[in-house]
Amino acid sequence: MSERLPLWAWSAAGLILFFGLWQGAVSSGAVSSFVLPSPLEVLERMWKLMNQPFAGALLHEHLLSSFGRFMGGFLLAAVIGVPLGLMMGRFRLLEDIVTPLFEGYRYVAPLAWVPFAALWFGTGIGGPIMVIFTGAFAPCVINAYRGARLVDSYLIEAAQTHGASEFRVAREVLLPGALPSIVAGLRIAAGLGWQSLIGAELIVVSSGIGFVMVQGQSNLSPSTVMTAMAVIGLTGLLIDIGLRQIESRVRAKWEGR
Amino acid sequence: MSEIVIDNVGKVFGEGGGRPFLAIDGVDLRVEDREVISVVGPSGCGKTTLMRMVAGLEHPTSGEVRVGGKRVTGPGPDRAVVFQQFALFPWKTVRENITFGMRSRGATKAERDAAVAHYLTLMKMEGTEDKYPHQLSGGMQQRVAIARSYATDPGVLLMDEPFGALDAQTRTIMQEELVRLTNDNPRTVMFITHSVEEAVYLADRVVVMARNPGRIREIIDVATTRKAEKWSEEPIDDVMEMPSFTHLRGQVWRLLREQMGSDI
Amino acid sequence: MAEATTGRRPGVRFMSRSRLTGLLTVATVIALWFLLTSVTGLVGEFRFPSPPDFLAAFARLASTGYAGGTLLEQALQSLRLVAIGFAAAIAVGVPLGFVMGYDRRAEAFFNPIFLVLRPIPPLAWIPLAIVWLGLGDASKVLVIFVAAFVPSVINTYTGVRNVQRTLIEAALVHGAGQGRLIREVYLPDAAPMIFTGLRLSLQASWTTLVAAELVGAFLGMGRVLSTAYRDINTAMILVSMVCIAVLGAITMMILARVERSVIRWRKT
Ligand SMILES: Nc1ncnc2c1ncn2[C@@H]1O[C@H](COP(=O)(O)OP(=O)(O)O)[C@@H](O)[C@H]1O
Ligand SMILES: [Mg+2]
Repeated sequence: MSERLPLWAWSAAGLILFFGLWQGAVSSGAVSSFVLPSPLEVLERMWKLMNQPFAGALLHEHLLSSFGRFMGGFLLAAVIGVPLGLMMGRFRLLEDIVTPLFEGYRYVAPLAWVPFAALWFGTGIGGPIMVIFTGAFAPCVINAYRGARLVDSYLIEAAQTHGASEFRVAREVLLPGALPSIVAGLRIAAGLGWQSLIGAELIVVSSGIGFVMVQGQSNLSPSTVMTAMAVIGLTGLLIDIGLRQIESRVRAKWEGR
Repeated sequence: MSEIVIDNVGKVFGEGGGRPFLAIDGVDLRVEDREVISVVGPSGCGKTTLMRMVAGLEHPTSGEVRVGGKRVTGPGPDRAVVFQQFALFPWKTVRENITFGMRSRGATKAERDAAVAHYLTLMKMEGTEDKYPHQLSGGMQQRVAIARSYATDPGVLLMDEPFGALDAQTRTIMQEELVRLTNDNPRTVMFITHSVEEAVYLADRVVVMARNPGRIREIIDVATTRKAEKWSEEPIDDVMEMPSFTHLRGQVWRLLREQMGSDI
Repeated sequence: MAEATTGRRPGVRFMSRSRLTGLLTVATVIALWFLLTSVTGLVGEFRFPSPPDFLAAFARLASTGYAGGTLLEQALQSLRLVAIGFAAAIAVGVPLGFVMGYDRRAEAFFNPIFLVLRPIPPLAWIPLAIVWLGLGDASKVLVIFVAAFVPSVINTYTGVRNVQRTLIEAALVHGAGQGRLIREVYLPDAAPMIFTGLRLSLQASWTTLVAAELVGAFLGMGRVLSTAYRDINTAMILVSMVCIAVLGAITMMILARVERSVIRWRKT
């Protein structure tokens, strides 16, 4: 199959073609850089935004405020969602009560919560956190639930016959047993939460990296928009890489090294 | 004529990248047209690899395999494989599975229908033609897999532990059926198994392999005894209690056990 | 989620106990809703609507309309955009994913490009789409396309990549050529995974459409939602949220139907 060209050459060709076509289209004047800035112009713009305030702050300050909100909403979703999921896996009654509500909630697109979030908690910190929460909540619950269902019931019974309280069962049997599944859920939750935050910032919030995009859009500055897109993508990637590290560590520890 | 000639064949895995591993070394074997051989040996001795090279799914790194005088370079219609895990297409009905290979050869609808009816009757599976594999028992699934291979009318039939996944009872029934099938409709058969009884019961010759590297330890003739003692006219359980059978079985057993000793 | 049967609760069940609990839950929630809004007035109408307000808003949207159109017009507008964007995305995404899973060179060629583009959340494409194409339908179709494209490519690619080796070999030793191999082995074996991709794509289409219409639109369910927000009409906010959820659920059910009729061979 790959007798003539090694596979890495195909990979390199793909990347070169992608960036080459992009840069070439602009340099040759085929596409105006008012419509599509070249990769170099985007880098230039990024440098500028880091040194000159735009939309009220420097680029990394915007990023920091977005990231702070993200952490708030994400942690809240994890702290509420994971125990709820675990308990649903443990107690049938709770599962039966929550399931119909949860099924309905899952069909509501996270961004559709933006109006209520803004009305209830304002557009500063509370509202965005609620939007992130609604985006990140479902995978936290579902994966914790699935993880808890996978824990062998004889382990729970063994703990109980040794006199463990319900709290100790949860902390010392359910949580560790479900941990691989939970961490996988947190990864999905982080991705959805990060994306929901960007959406919220596009719609109602007036700071943060999403707001930089809106401002770039109304100034008709694609280079600003694309700079923000790159920063958003990169941050999302770093968050995912961090969680993936944790995930592989948990797996290595649980499923035998 | 569909004789198999395995001519000084060797196979090294992982040449190029990784640590090379000699899986098969210098195997010479000639299987005559319409002869049934079985291959036994400790696990990892290269039985599957050898069969896959005859099938054309794997290529020898030295020597060559010829079937019917032609060098094997890939899979071909003259050879059909029955896999250990049946490998039926889950999305095809029994009928579609059985006729899969026939369609490659451009068989007409009438021919295909006739074949389906023929094999299902032969295998006592009438009425299952529109069922999907998951609706059948393991034994039935393997019968369909065998029918799929037979239906293409190949000169050579290659079977890799085809009954390994079946329970003991089903297995016995399948062994008898296979003998009947090969009697009615002789083919060149290479049959891999880890059951010594099965190897002796089914084959004209038993090839005993050794490992590290994979090679042929000895070849034991069964055909002469089978004909003399008229095995094929008796039920399998009776055959297995005949002195002529137990004698041959003991011979194969000793060859395998001496290898286990050398393992430790 | 409630389908698991673990026999943890022995004893005869006259009717599904979970379903009964579920019905009771829903009834309780509705009763609580009444209690907190209409009956006691603990939650004011600027925080959450009462059930009668909710029904009135629904009636208004359905009959005279709101934010430039009736429910039917608004819903059809959103449905149309989702349908176009989703269809275009899978028409390109599934074949691309297939080629990537089938051919190592195509995989090597496209994978790095995906690694660059994939981390950008679909919603982050909205401003660029607006800069390029304005606030009309085209920009929405573009962002839906981007959102739906990625999951359909990734899942098709994974499905084809993981086609069972023995089935490919079984087809080869029974004389199948490349065409039959693709049609009768690769496609059916990858089909469940492809449909998983389509489900995720459809979900992403709705999420993105709602966001895009919230950012700016002339018509559509997201437009209803953002107008209701500007008017601080909580009843209409809730109505549009529910309508969006129902529309999403309906399209998901249609997709599940299609999946069941395509994949007939699976157990149960
Ligand atoms: N594709 C492969 N790559 C590397 N090693 C292989 C491969 N296939 C088989 N082997 C090795 O070759 C040896 C023989 O394998 P196999 O033919 O499957 O043995 P058997 O069927 O007798 O159990 C084993 O040690 C196995 O690990
Ligand atoms: Mg083997």
